[in-house]
Amino acid sequence: MLHCSNERPWAPRGCVTDVSAAPAPDLTPSRPVYDGSLGELYGIYLRHLALMVLTLGWSRFWGRTRLRRYLWSHLSILGDRFEYRGRGRELLFGFLFVLVLLALWFGLIWALWYFRLREHPVPGLSVTNMFSVSLALLGLPLAFVGQYAGLRYKLTRTRWRGIRAGLDGSAWGYGMRATFLTFINAMTGQLMLPLVSVGLARPRIANARVGTLHFDFAGRAGDIYGRYIGYYFLNILMWVVAIAVVAVAIGGTFSDLDTKSEEFTKLFSEPSLRTLVLAAAIGFAAYLLFGLLILPVRCWWQAYLFRYLVSRTRAGNVLFASAISTWQMWGFLVLNYLIVVLTLGLGWPLVMHRTLRLVAQELWIYGAPNGASIQQPADHGPGYGEGLLDMFDVTGF
Amino acid sequence: MAVLPTNANPAPSPIQVPMRTRYYDGVTAEALDVRVRASTIDLTISRADNSTVVARWPVTDLIVLGDTEHEAVPAVAPRGSDARLVIEDPEQRRQLAQTVPALERLARPRPSAGGRIALFGSALVIVIGLFWGGVEYGSEAVAPLVPHVLQAKLGEAVRDELVDGKEMCLGNAGLVAINRLANDLGKAAGHPHKITVNVVKGGPVNAFTLPGDILVFYSDLITQAKDSSQVAGVLAHEIGHAVHYHPIKGLTRQFGVDVLLHSLTGGFSDIGTLTSGGGLLLALRNGRAFEREADATGVELLEKLGVRADGVASFFEQLMGKETSDAAKMLGMWSSHPPTAERILATKRPSTGRPAFTEAEWAALRSVCGETLRDPSSTRTPKDPPTTVRPRPR
Ligand SMILES: [Zn+2]
Repeated sequence: MLHCSNERPWAPRGCVTDVSAAPAPDLTPSRPVYDGSLGELYGIYLRHLALMVLTLGWSRFWGRTRLRRYLWSHLSILGDRFEYRGRGRELLFGFLFVLVLLALWFGLIWALWYFRLREHPVPGLSVTNMFSVSLALLGLPLAFVGQYAGLRYKLTRTRWRGIRAGLDGSAWGYGMRATFLTFINAMTGQLMLPLVSVGLARPRIANARVGTLHFDFAGRAGDIYGRYIGYYFLNILMWVVAIAVVAVAIGGTFSDLDTKSEEFTKLFSEPSLRTLVLAAAIGFAAYLLFGLLILPVRCWWQAYLFRYLVSRTRAGNVLFASAISTWQMWGFLVLNYLIVVLTLGLGWPLVMHRTLRLVAQELWIYGAPNGASIQQPADHGPGYGEGLLDMFDVTGF
Repeated sequence: MAVLPTNANPAPSPIQVPMRTRYYDGVTAEALDVRVRASTIDLTISRADNSTVVARWPVTDLIVLGDTEHEAVPAVAPRGSDARLVIEDPEQRRQLAQTVPALERLARPRPSAGGRIALFGSALVIVIGLFWGGVEYGSEAVAPLVPHVLQAKLGEAVRDELVDGKEMCLGNAGLVAINRLANDLGKAAGHPHKITVNVVKGGPVNAFTLPGDILVFYSDLITQAKDSSQVAGVLAHEIGHAVHYHPIKGLTRQFGVDVLLHSLTGGFSDIGTLTSGGGLLLALRNGRAFEREADATGVELLEKLGVRADGVASFFEQLMGKETSDAAKMLGMWSSHPPTAERILATKRPSTGRPAFTEAEWAALRSVCGETLRDPSSTRTPKDPPTTVRPRPR
């Protein structure tokens, strides 16, 4: 029997003969289990915070490690818990390593300034200026490199059934690719976003492995472009609506005030308490409007993208799927953000707890790997980690 | 692609990992359900289904990975090996630890969450309190020791930033007059450094003190003062800031707060920007205590010189009594110098004593920006040489 279908991403492209004679693969569904408790997590976190203040932040490497040990160990797949075996001092070394690199870089810039520019100074170009400008330019690529290297560090410190996970591929290659894609996307008014999303998900998924079991990724930007174009214009429409509403509101407010134009300029050149209150109220209303109109649309897209990426991921004969909804994505992206910011970071364990529960609820795993065929990898991964992440990327933990 | 059981979330209410004992050999990802028999010599691990022995670990080699505070189930492993034994049942772990003392950590009870939160929560509060006390005390002790050259350099940099694009008033006699009184007040307080007063043209009605004994007055403050004693009162208040090293103390504290917030929130950029607002708030609160101290010292110094000391209170009264249309101009003064009834009460003095400035000095100060400020409606005639200049470009 001949099968021509695009609906099965894991079949070879084009038409293949259906091997219906072979036994049906085991596709027993299961979900990860998270059995951590928020109270215990807070106990660890508060201890971490007290040490952070006492050591002016230098204990963060060990604190982070303890938190990960707790979270990893309370998450299990197919009845087997994860294990985190990273060490605080590995993170410290990673940090110091990048610190040394930055010092060398500053030395290089200083030498350049000392020998070339000191005699003929360019106005507005001091040593510190050159240093911070060069870091600002390098910051984005380095953050991407750091993200990939950080993922590699975390995976190589993660064990499942005693087997180390890992991530192949070059962090610098990923950094260059990510910078290029981000740049192109910005140049084309975000129209390349599916290409960026899929293009950056591929190396992160397809290079990941558990022992010798590699993940595969079969996503193509073309699959999601239709939905994206819809989202793109819906998003623009929402912006137009939001801006129109704000414009009408502002127009109404100022016609109420019956302000002449010179008084109007005075209102802003010499702000009174009333102006400030008014501005704050307008700002808040605009923020609320933005939250109501634009964020749900973005969450709808993000949920769709996540479901797509998960469904195109495979590990051997194990398939994945997610039914995460727009509302759940809103809880993940917006509510979690608000929790962290409004509690000045004290809500962080709650956010982590919520995230792992979401993973346990919405990630479906079909089938089980043949454990005996997965070997312990020979390499142990890098000896230190996350220095760049610590320096340039502040979203991680 | 597998069919997703969309609506069917068959969540069995207590989600749990089954209470089994698992063995991983560290070579492959094969997971075996096993039974463990412990003796004082070794650990015998055999398959649960057919009793085949899969491993025999000498007791002297055994270690526990992690602890019960962090790991849900600390794994048992031979030292340096990738193999693992994971016993989900706490009772079974306890029995094993009894037989094998080296595995004592396996049986430690999980610390209670409530107890830990109470313990480390109060530890956190105490540590923050200690840190805060250290900053408070440290800034008090260290501020006067910061080399004056350094303070002045910092102050000049801030001043140049603040007055950038504004006109400086350079009426010589007026500047001499206000600097004379400023240094008289400084000497009366036993302040060892020279004080420099700059006058900037325009508003808001405000004056401030920078590190390195640099004072900046806005000319609107001089224009809108009812009499010379009000200007003298504000000047004395600012001298109070200077002799107590408030600017450098304030900076030190702000730095301390920044470090504290950074260590508390380290890792979240958005919180970082948010807390910079919080830090400002704390610095302002801090400012209130400074204001009271400067008020008291200012009045004290004026009285010491035998000068009319009612200017501070009367100036605040005037600010408070202003109509709301002038709210804009007062805003600058309000933010760091809230004219509260309490402060007026504390600085209230009789209008006795000699005037702070001579008639000639006061006249010169009123025209420090090059205009006869007694009559605001008069405009400069072309004959008058302009005495205001822009600050020299940096
Ligand atoms: Zn003051």
